[in-house]
Amino acid sequence: MFCTQCGANNADTAIVCVQCGRDLQASAPPVPLQTTGVVIPPGPPVQVDNYLVFAILATVLCCLPAGIPAIVYAAQVNSKLQAGDVAGAQLSSKNAKMWCWISFGLFFAGVGVYIILIMIGIASGIFHQN
Amino acid sequence: MALIAHKRSVWLLAAIFGTAFAVMLRFYDPATSGVFPPCPVHYLTGWYCPGCGSLRALHQFLQGNVRAAWSMNPLTLIFLPFLSYGLASRALAEIRGQGLPRVFLPAVWIRALCAAIILFGIVRNLPLHPFDLLAPGAMLGL
Repeated sequence: MFCTQCGANNADTAIVCVQCGRDLQASAPPVPLQTTGVVIPPGPPVQVDNYLVFAILATVLCCLPAGIPAIVYAAQVNSKLQAGDVAGAQLSSKNAKMWCWISFGLFFAGVGVYIILIMIGIASGIFHQN
Repeated sequence: MALIAHKRSVWLLAAIFGTAFAVMLRFYDPATSGVFPPCPVHYLTGWYCPGCGSLRALHQFLQGNVRAAWSMNPLTLIFLPFLSYGLASRALAEIRGQGLPRVFLPAVWIRALCAAIILFGIVRNLPLHPFDLLAPGAMLGL
């Protein structure tokens, strides 16, 4: 099938477009609604979370390069929203969220390892005193 | 319903953890106390990452030393108001269902921001004079 957004040729079973990342399943049945002359009022601008705050927190506060992909996906969310591609933006949003969680997971794992090392240090200190 | 309760408890936990962290950071200097772990990137590679010095910067900021905070990590100080706004907005959205007014950043700005962070991480490692001042604490010789 061809992507409705960028026209790239995808496998018929593809879930997202290989080129632009558009959700192909959601856009597959294009239902023509313009038959009765009912004017659909323009809704409020769609808000898709880009998790930029957490991406920057992860990069600058947790000291982690894993925050960089989160920022890149945050930018992708907004660029797709600007292009009117809500489904694509939601996909990028999911990726941004995932990278934020990876960053925080690594951060807490690191803190855990650090605490264990300190415990071992204290324990061996007590051990050597006796 | 269970999902909302779950989300709430994650936020509550984050708020408690964050407050405890800030209080600890106010009283213990990451530079000298050993309470806080060192930056893993600097520890493993010897290079300063864009976030190196951010904990020391926050500590100095909480102590009221803005100049020292700036010298430790200028990025942290620049981002602080924006991050505070974003986090406050999310917290308010959890509590009363509506956050602060949202600002839509054009994608180009976010990409520029990303490039600036990466560039800052590269430049502060350069052993050339004006750039070496960007290493944590170098501006004040700390």
